[in-house]
Amino acid sequence: MSKINSVTCPVCGCLCDDIELTIADGIVAQVKNGCAMCEAKFFSHSNEHRLKTPLIRKDGKLVPTTYTVAVRKSAEILAKANYPILYGWSSTDSEAQRVGVELAEEVGGVLDNTAVVCHGPSILSVQEVGIPTCTLGQIRHRADLLIYWGCNPWSAHPRHLERYTAFTDGRFENSEWMSYLNKVKAAAGRKKIKSLERKGILKHRREREIPTVSDNKPTEILDKKGRKLIVVDVRKSMTAEIADYFLQVKPGKDYELIQGIRALVRDQELDVEEVAGVPVEYLQQLVDAMISCDFGVIFFGMGLTQSPSKFRNIDVAISLIRDLNMRTKFAIMPMRGHFNVTGANTVFTWQSGYPYAVDFSLGYPRYNPGETTVVDVLLRQESDAGLVIASDPVSNFPRKAVEHLVKNPLIVIDPHMNATSLVGDIIIPSSIVGVEKEGTAYRMDHVPLPLKKVVDPPKGVLSDEEILNRILKEVRKIKSNRLEAA
Amino acid sequence: MIILTPIKKTQYPIIAQCISPDVFQEKTLEQINNLPIWIGNKRRILSDLFKIEKTTENSPSIIINGDVSQVRRIGWGMTQGEIVVNGNAGMHLGKKMSGGKIVVNGNAEGWAGSEMKGGLLEIKGDAGDYLGSPYRGSTIGMRKGKIVVHGNVGSDAAVHMKSGLIKIHGNSGPFMGFRMTGGVIHIQKDAGTRLGACMTGGKIVVSGVLEDMLPTFAIEFIKGKVKIELGDKAIGPFFVFLGDLAENGRGKLFISKEKNPQLSQYERFL
Amino acid sequence: MDLLIKNGFVYDPINGINGERMDIAIRNNKIVESVIEKNSKIIDATGLTVFPGGVDIHTHIAGSEVNTGRLVRPEDHEKDFVRKTSVTRSGVGYSIPSTFTTGYRYSLMGYTTVMNPSMAALEAKHTHEELNDIPMLDKATYPLLGDWWLVLETIQKGDLEECARYVAWMLEITKGYAIKIVNPGGLESWGFGRNVHSIDDQIPNFGITPRDIMCGLAKVNKMLNLPHTIHLHTNNLGVPGNYETTLDTMKCLESIPSNGKPVVHITHLQFSSFAGEDWGSFRSGAAEIAGYINNHDHVSCDMGQIIFTDTTTMTADGPFEYTLYQLSGHKWVNSDVETETSGGIIPFHYKRKNPVNAIQWSIGLELALLIKNPWKVFMTTDHPNAGPFTAYPKILAWLASKKARMATFKRLHKKAQKKSILPSIDRELSLYDIAIVTRAGQAKALNLKEKGHLGVGADADVAIFDLNPEKVDIANKFRTFRRAFTNTAYTIKGGKILAKDGEILQQAEGKTIWLDMQTKKEIEISEEIKKKFREYWTVEYENYPVSEHYIKNSSPIKIKADV
Repeated sequence: MSKINSVTCPVCGCLCDDIELTIADGIVAQVKNGCAMCEAKFFSHSNEHRLKTPLIRKDGKLVPTTYTVAVRKSAEILAKANYPILYGWSSTDSEAQRVGVELAEEVGGVLDNTAVVCHGPSILSVQEVGIPTCTLGQIRHRADLLIYWGCNPWSAHPRHLERYTAFTDGRFENSEWMSYLNKVKAAAGRKKIKSLERKGILKHRREREIPTVSDNKPTEILDKKGRKLIVVDVRKSMTAEIADYFLQVKPGKDYELIQGIRALVRDQELDVEEVAGVPVEYLQQLVDAMISCDFGVIFFGMGLTQSPSKFRNIDVAISLIRDLNMRTKFAIMPMRGHFNVTGANTVFTWQSGYPYAVDFSLGYPRYNPGETTVVDVLLRQESDAGLVIASDPVSNFPRKAVEHLVKNPLIVIDPHMNATSLVGDIIIPSSIVGVEKEGTAYRMDHVPLPLKKVVDPPKGVLSDEEILNRILKEVRKIKSNRLEAA
Repeated sequence: MIILTPIKKTQYPIIAQCISPDVFQEKTLEQINNLPIWIGNKRRILSDLFKIEKTTENSPSIIINGDVSQVRRIGWGMTQGEIVVNGNAGMHLGKKMSGGKIVVNGNAEGWAGSEMKGGLLEIKGDAGDYLGSPYRGSTIGMRKGKIVVHGNVGSDAAVHMKSGLIKIHGNSGPFMGFRMTGGVIHIQKDAGTRLGACMTGGKIVVSGVLEDMLPTFAIEFIKGKVKIELGDKAIGPFFVFLGDLAENGRGKLFISKEKNPQLSQYERFL
Repeated sequence: MDLLIKNGFVYDPINGINGERMDIAIRNNKIVESVIEKNSKIIDATGLTVFPGGVDIHTHIAGSEVNTGRLVRPEDHEKDFVRKTSVTRSGVGYSIPSTFTTGYRYSLMGYTTVMNPSMAALEAKHTHEELNDIPMLDKATYPLLGDWWLVLETIQKGDLEECARYVAWMLEITKGYAIKIVNPGGLESWGFGRNVHSIDDQIPNFGITPRDIMCGLAKVNKMLNLPHTIHLHTNNLGVPGNYETTLDTMKCLESIPSNGKPVVHITHLQFSSFAGEDWGSFRSGAAEIAGYINNHDHVSCDMGQIIFTDTTTMTADGPFEYTLYQLSGHKWVNSDVETETSGGIIPFHYKRKNPVNAIQWSIGLELALLIKNPWKVFMTTDHPNAGPFTAYPKILAWLASKKARMATFKRLHKKAQKKSILPSIDRELSLYDIAIVTRAGQAKALNLKEKGHLGVGADADVAIFDLNPEKVDIANKFRTFRRAFTNTAYTIKGGKILAKDGEILQQAEGKTIWLDMQTKKEIEISEEIKKKFREYWTVEYENYPVSEHYIKNSSPIKIKADV
């Protein structure tokens, strides 16, 4: 039995690096400090359904084969292809991603990562208007106004609040944990009183004596001391429950809401009484709170990037932050999902200049989301082969895109069987990055963190990096043979 | 005059920016046959894809008879002459063109007339997204020239437009004229949402129904008619809005009064 | 096989060689006394100019800021792309080339060693991962330490020894080479959207001044016996009238014992030599600055020369980038890093017809020409801030030829022409001077003993240019000179011929040079410090350092410190 400290959790964009693991008999026996998702990930390596040898489709059925054969067949498919796609990359380490770019370049393919279905729109906006942002520690130390917009960290990034924002102690700002606990107690008390009233044990009291957590009106809560937490969403999420103020926006109307706020920040008057279902008077109070803070931040999620008008939503949100910086200090940050999707963007960018949707078919990197994004390529039915690594497009791409993906030869590299591997032609199991393989990942704020190898992979199972390197080598061999033959 | 007839279908994207009067000019038929193109990730020549004929007429124009919706970058950066496409045209048609004329007797895919600097682009069918809009990250939109679309237009057209004219006989998608700073757009039918978002100059005229008005535009006055170009006036009356206030903008929206009774609530501010 | 470069005109200022016709012998990766001719590969350099490989003291080529710059500028890449070849990787330019392209383009110009001057320590792993992917060059990088809380706190306490130990620890674990200071105190203030405006302004929450930081770290630099001086980006950079701040800065460091050697390197000095009260009355303060530097030996500097082009500015000086954003309204990136630094990025187009830009152009050249000693002022563009490094040949032509300067000068904004003293300067740099400001001087300032010269024992890094100094008067035929310096005839690094006549022949990996700090007392990382660490940063102590396996080709230099 051994203990390993300061392990980085390879699940979400938070990359919590304070995980303590207990290893017994070569498997993870105990996980400390992690959230439920973290625990599930670290325990998953010993799942008995793990695939331990590559599979290849013969007569419609997947049958076991060796790495050598799987690699050779994969290389043949890619070397022959006229327009292959290489997709995924967000749940592997940057070391593998580096090889991925080289492979895509070598085979003249379209390289894309999962940003295309989550924060791709954010990137497009960043390319239009930039982004005033910071690392998460800056928020811990300084932010006194925290806004979560279209995201629900309580369930998607469970430790975000406790590690980086409202519930942490920084140099200049303190944790709101106690006030949150009081709020929870008050809510429980209120419930109790209500129930007593219902049973007739207690006489009905005037409502205002029991403070409500928040209604849809920014009350004096925005004048409270210390950190303030605001949630903007279309529905009341768990995070909204604990917020000091919850602003409910009409679905699909985020754009109008932010534009309205921007106009007010610029001291303009609006010719309307409400914006996106929110009275202008409330917005004015919200704007006052934004302007009067010392350091504000907006975190945004897929609620903003994947609702109608997508990247223009982010464009306008970033523009709001630009405006606010004329009045005070403000930052904005996307809540990235996969633990290393930021790394995929980062590595692709330093090697090719572009963060996703990179088309190497002309021998040089070309980028035009909408044209060179994998989903669009598939929807237009242009590709003739695919390599999917560390992701599961079959379960989250549009149906028509999946149909075309499946129609052509498909190589899948993943530690686990997923919906995509079930329909693939060559399935290559890999070790779990951050559990069975060390490497590097980039946190949502671009801070690089080392991933540890805490247990051995199943016997004979190779890493993503190694598999890709072998395929690349094989592709080069095929191409040079072909050149000699010619 | 050169006549191109597609002889091959392929699933892969085709990049053929050589299809331009500037490139074809003064080239023999054989040279034209051998101009490089890309099909997927393979280098090919123009004659792999087209039957190419040269007529005796000595003019720098190109006629394409057939569907070329997979062929991208036709007329890239052209400065003169004429291209007629009798069929649908692929992405980036007439990108960066600064002169001459392109007529499409069919539909055009996305980014038609992107970063246009002059000339005329006429699309008889529908246009895709990003009509006349700049490349990713660029703020250089349409700077001059004229685009006429007889059908409908997709989203994000005329982004960062600085000057020139876009006439749409049909409907427009969302975010038309996003961040435009100058120029004129006339939408003869209905306009999509977020029209003129973040615009700081120029004018957009909507003769049909406006799906949704951004809250950051303020009404200025009502006007009977508005000039589109020399000899072309749109007849109103129009509500005239000024915005986008979120950018302290001075762009103008002319919205048909008759077709948009839902906007009459603004009249009380006049 | 050994290599013999025969009969070239050799310029090797460190060894006092000024255009003599001689042979350079190379065995393995070093320059040697001689090799046996018949066993060697011969490069006939008759009629060619032979320089040591170029050294760039300040160029932003890797790291999170540079990469964010790449990310926000697809429109900059679209117009400048590079196809893959059988030996090279594909990539893009223009102002912030992708990593491989960066290596190739430097190599084609004859550069072999470059310094990446700005690295947030928290993101050091990123910088090193990128440096690994920049081939053809030896590299080093400077961590940003001027606004690091532990530096501010120890200086506030007055405990420079402790400060020195922290700095030593930081240099080693980030695999850094020098102490980089950017707008001292200003970056911490920027944490709450403020700035400092003189070297004696109080830094909020810390009760010390920029003066304290600069003097403190200059002393620490001495105590640690670091090879380079403190590498300083001054307060008030980019603000009209800032030459006075720069003078104050240099004066405040006069008291640091120097033995006639520099104690500070002021980088991209052009941006710190502005006179006038505002942009309207903007003019050059270069004469005053150059006058001071001519009379003092404790300062070296580099130009930060403006190029009239569309480029991308990026610096840790967040408040300065914010000012640029307010001026341009262009896309703006700000990226503050907890407890350490800040950063910002703005695309910027320098224009001839913009009076301010035109004067800035003049300032850079005035500095380089008015500072008499070429060993004190080096040629840079602060890539990509004042222009991409690919514009170096242009600058060399301006330095070496009054004719070249005036050709550009005539096309400047008229108001700028009137204000500039450039037409009154007749100095023209010789090839010997050019060799100093592009390699020898830089290597000496960095104390890189095996770089910047062609003496026996030096690294076999050589640049050979197709230029016959006996036939071509570079001051007159500046176009020929410029062309020759755009693509080398040969670039040799570590004894390998990497480029020939503008073509990359092979890809080679460079080393990453870093300081292996040997302090007398090992810095103790107690549980308390680890706890503090957890409070200050959002990562665990164990996950902070850049372990050596991050560096593909590690080349540590052992440094014995006095603490």
